[in-house]
Amino acid sequence: MEIIKTLLSRRRFLQASGTAGAVGAAALGSGGVLTALKPVRAQAASPPTYHATKITKSICHQCPARCGIDVYTTDGRVHAIYGSSEHPISNGKLCPKGPLGTYILYDPDRFKGPMKRTNPQKGRDIDPGFVPISWEEALDTVAGRLNTLRDKGESHRFALCFGRGWGASCAGLLGPFGKLYGSQNVPIGHSSMCSDGSMLSKAATDGNASYSAYDYRNANMLLMFGVGFLEAFRPYNNNMQVWGYIRGERVPKTRITAVDVHLNTTLAGADRALLIKPGTDGALALAIAHVILTEGLWERPFVGDFKDGVNRFKTGQHVDPGTFEEKWVKGLIEWWNIELKDRTPEWAAEITTLYERDILATAREFGSTRPAIALFERGVHAHSNGILNGMAVHSLNALVGSLFAKGGLMYQMGPSYGAMPVKEDDFMDDYAKSGPWKAQPRIDLQGHEDGYLIAKNMLQEVGPNSLAGKPYKLDTVMFYLTNPIWTAPDGRAWEDALKEVFVVDTSPFPGETAMFADLILPDHTYLERLQDAPTYPFQGWPMAQLRVPAIKPLYDTKYFGDTLIEIGKRIKGRTGEYYQALGDSENVIRHLAKGFETDPGDNGVDSFDSWKEKGVWYKKNYKWRQIGGAFFEWDGKGYNTPMTAEQVKKELFKTDSGRFEIRSGKLEHHADWIAAKTGRDKDKLMFPHWEEPQHPGGGDLYMVTPKAAMHAEGRGANLPVAIANFQPVLGGRGTVYIEINPKTARERGIADGDLVRLKSHLGSIEGHCRFFEGCRPDTVVFPMENGHWAMGRWAKGRSPGHCGEITVNQSDRVTGQCSYYTTKVSIERA
Amino acid sequence: MAKWGMVIDLDKCTGCQACTTACSMENNRLPGENWQDVLFYHEGTYPNVKLMWFPRPCMHCENPSCVSVCPTKATYKDPHGGFVLMDWNRCIGCKYCQVACPYGVRFYVDEKAPVQPDIRTVFPSADGRVWDPPYRGPQDDPGRGIGIQPHGVVSKCTFCYHRVSKAPAGIADLDEDIPALKEYVPACVRTCAPKARFFGDLDNPESTVNKLIADKSGVRLKDETGNKPQVYYLSGGAAASVPSLRSMTPSDPA
Ligand code: SF4
Ligand code: SF4
Ligand code: SF4
Ligand code: SF4
Repeated sequence: MEIIKTLLSRRRFLQASGTAGAVGAAALGSGGVLTALKPVRAQAASPPTYHATKITKSICHQCPARCGIDVYTTDGRVHAIYGSSEHPISNGKLCPKGPLGTYILYDPDRFKGPMKRTNPQKGRDIDPGFVPISWEEALDTVAGRLNTLRDKGESHRFALCFGRGWGASCAGLLGPFGKLYGSQNVPIGHSSMCSDGSMLSKAATDGNASYSAYDYRNANMLLMFGVGFLEAFRPYNNNMQVWGYIRGERVPKTRITAVDVHLNTTLAGADRALLIKPGTDGALALAIAHVILTEGLWERPFVGDFKDGVNRFKTGQHVDPGTFEEKWVKGLIEWWNIELKDRTPEWAAEITTLYERDILATAREFGSTRPAIALFERGVHAHSNGILNGMAVHSLNALVGSLFAKGGLMYQMGPSYGAMPVKEDDFMDDYAKSGPWKAQPRIDLQGHEDGYLIAKNMLQEVGPNSLAGKPYKLDTVMFYLTNPIWTAPDGRAWEDALKEVFVVDTSPFPGETAMFADLILPDHTYLERLQDAPTYPFQGWPMAQLRVPAIKPLYDTKYFGDTLIEIGKRIKGRTGEYYQALGDSENVIRHLAKGFETDPGDNGVDSFDSWKEKGVWYKKNYKWRQIGGAFFEWDGKGYNTPMTAEQVKKELFKTDSGRFEIRSGKLEHHADWIAAKTGRDKDKLMFPHWEEPQHPGGGDLYMVTPKAAMHAEGRGANLPVAIANFQPVLGGRGTVYIEINPKTARERGIADGDLVRLKSHLGSIEGHCRFFEGCRPDTVVFPMENGHWAMGRWAKGRSPGHCGEITVNQSDRVTGQCSYYTTKVSIERA
Repeated sequence: MAKWGMVIDLDKCTGCQACTTACSMENNRLPGENWQDVLFYHEGTYPNVKLMWFPRPCMHCENPSCVSVCPTKATYKDPHGGFVLMDWNRCIGCKYCQVACPYGVRFYVDEKAPVQPDIRTVFPSADGRVWDPPYRGPQDDPGRGIGIQPHGVVSKCTFCYHRVSKAPAGIADLDEDIPALKEYVPACVRTCAPKARFFGDLDNPESTVNKLIADKSGVRLKDETGNKPQVYYLSGGAAASVPSLRSMTPSDPA
């Protein structure tokens, strides 16, 4: 009961120490004690005004889940946000960030209109001297620079980098802009700093460069590798709804094993929690695969079988490929022979530091429970060996046959959008088609032999490359919903880079990158925007949300989509004509909605107006399903139409073989390059296999920096209510600690609560530590999101500082995934 | 008349704190003035560690110790519904109730704010209240501790009186999944994604809350105080979500 007593008093607003009745209840009625207290002053109740409340259907902006929200506005004030009951992701609910949107709208630190820099000097803590300008001047300035660059044949020196793109009316406009204006650097997305490692692992094996959609509700087991299912994994709100169902209502209860590098609520709530050594998830997955094969637990109708039905998978023993008939997988026997045959639980125990019995039990449970899903994200692949780890985990889904199965995983279908008002291909001038820009590589060296040949984007390289002038220096860079000075590893390199570049930021809020801007073209905040957003991978069936403004913009801001269109109109020649024809972002959205006229949603949405009223269009049928090793298409009533192998290849397994490639054709095509850049064995690099991760930084402890549930994308650091509850387990009330295992701390002479310094060879940050037995002794753990220096008054300088300052910029050479979770640091008393 | 009660199913609760933030925003609380809070604790040594938690609103006790110590009758038990409320026009800020409450759910905010800079200086009030944020909700009823408090008084969870009290008479449960009822459901219950929270009439034998308490052996926090909370917890195990298969020691047989 002591623990309850401590807890119940710990997180009060303040302790009751200042009680007038400190002498206790005996003082009651003695008269004198109460005289010092506040005089009673009647407060009149304001009349209730609920009758005037308007509810707008919109969507949340604080993570990629895209929850439908009901925004309550009374007398022109937005005062409440709840989940929309009719929205398939939110179903009336919210995560802890959802209700905080009003803070974002009324954030006192917002930019209130376009501004330009007057101080030519740039640097951290140097006042940019922003002064307000008109939108005309702002847009003319950008377009003027862009036209000059184009006239000089240097249009590639303009880059537009974006983070959280939402839909066709913002991020979707960027590709055509790059094509028409003439820059391969428009756009560069932040996916490599997000979770490209999982997209590329999937592309390598099943041919879909995408996140997965999941049918959790019908699964009987979930095996989670580094996903933060109850903290951050998209769609977080819906994940929790799923959790309540599969753990609290469903019979049989879905079994959950969670693998992660620190103790979080997901691990606490799981049946089995495996606190694994960072970067070694691949070894665990290989051992699980080993057991599934040796114990004969694989899904034969999907995977195939030995021709005579006799299992020849015996630890350490070679298997004759001719004895096995593969069905929907490619390379299983080769994988066994080249890698898997020796990957025993005993071997993996050594690498992962887990107990052999836990590995074995996990493998048996996963191998024998159907349907089962192995899901993974950044914890697994944000390491130098990321592609290998990711492929190993994803291959488990193939072994148990959960791809496109009921209770399995699949890929997201897109919405039935109508065509854009005009086609950019009709507006290509000679410069766009064959100007000198065409001969240049991308600034991030994505797709280039010297850089990242196979990666999708390499935003983390843009700053450093421009600084080094390799391949060239940028002239002008524009940012949309990304703040790389803060989010990129080793942001100091970006600070130096952006000193020499003309920077345009479009965030509605101050931020580190904005402090290096020459122009601020502030966007509306999300409750003020009209913006489309097709769903992130969810349950596979198509859905498109619409963000509808709940209130007129509070300040002189402009929706980013319109800012871009307005700049486009000012570009000389055909480009300008294209944007004249495009009109504005609302016109784009109206054209998108035309697609619903012929394909109305399940909720009756069949036009722009009905979309706006309901906030979402969706059709709840996924088109394909794998049943017992055969594939079928939905015929309007059920999965009744059998698919040919060619159809499966076209729609589902988009690989050379049309099967799930454990032997990855995609990697094999680039075998020489991969071998040269990674030193991997040319015969092995196309298979999931074990490789020791490289941990830069020079320290002896893994730095683990999870995204906390309260981390509202881009803005969590300046939301006072989020700050008050940010780190629930050890912190709270505005404090965040560096978690450390007591043994690790004591060995270094560090006491609970000490001010400590974390160091890598890049620098150091300081904060207070707290002992936590839930920490692996070889880690230090603290949430990412602290230590902003320009995000706003509440974010400023929050301890324990920003992990990015000491995170080395290292990426997986194959996927381009930025390895955020792999730097090693040392700790000492400060 | 109903006797409103809350049931929190710890087997479903994910510890997400959405209840906390939803309450904060619905009721215009200062950052850290968590009328509803989620309390985390842990036991054991690495690697055999259990992390646990439970959410905690005001218990709206049948026999509230806060009420009995209040010298001015500022805090009182509303016989219509069983809410324990504050009359800010009577409260003299003596904080006896804060000491007397065994559950730590009463707040006195005229002190240094835990989150700096103090948001009260950013959004000051013109009419004697503690603050006045631009997103302040329309409800305001100082006689029941609803809205934003004046200086020098104690505040606490109202069981969302401003919502619940408008519910149609005779309703057994306020279930947010029933569209016609969702506006009457307490903010913390309405928002809870895994549906770990339930709100209903404890006097109605047909209510879901009563069934849950009976079927899953609901317990009351610190029942030994005799306060008789109207908030019940359900738990299949000893704590929030109890892992059953976690690693114990290396020597454990497989
Ligand atoms: S932050 Fe994400 S999960 Fe939470 S309510 Fe917003 S969109 Fe949904
Ligand atoms: S909102 Fe629900 S799941 Fe989240 S902490 Fe509160 S009670 Fe638990
Ligand atoms: S929990 Fe505390 S404040 Fe609430 S009714 Fe009981 S004694 Fe009073
Ligand atoms: S019932 Fe209302 S006031 Fe009480 S904790 Fe829940 S949301 Fe807050």
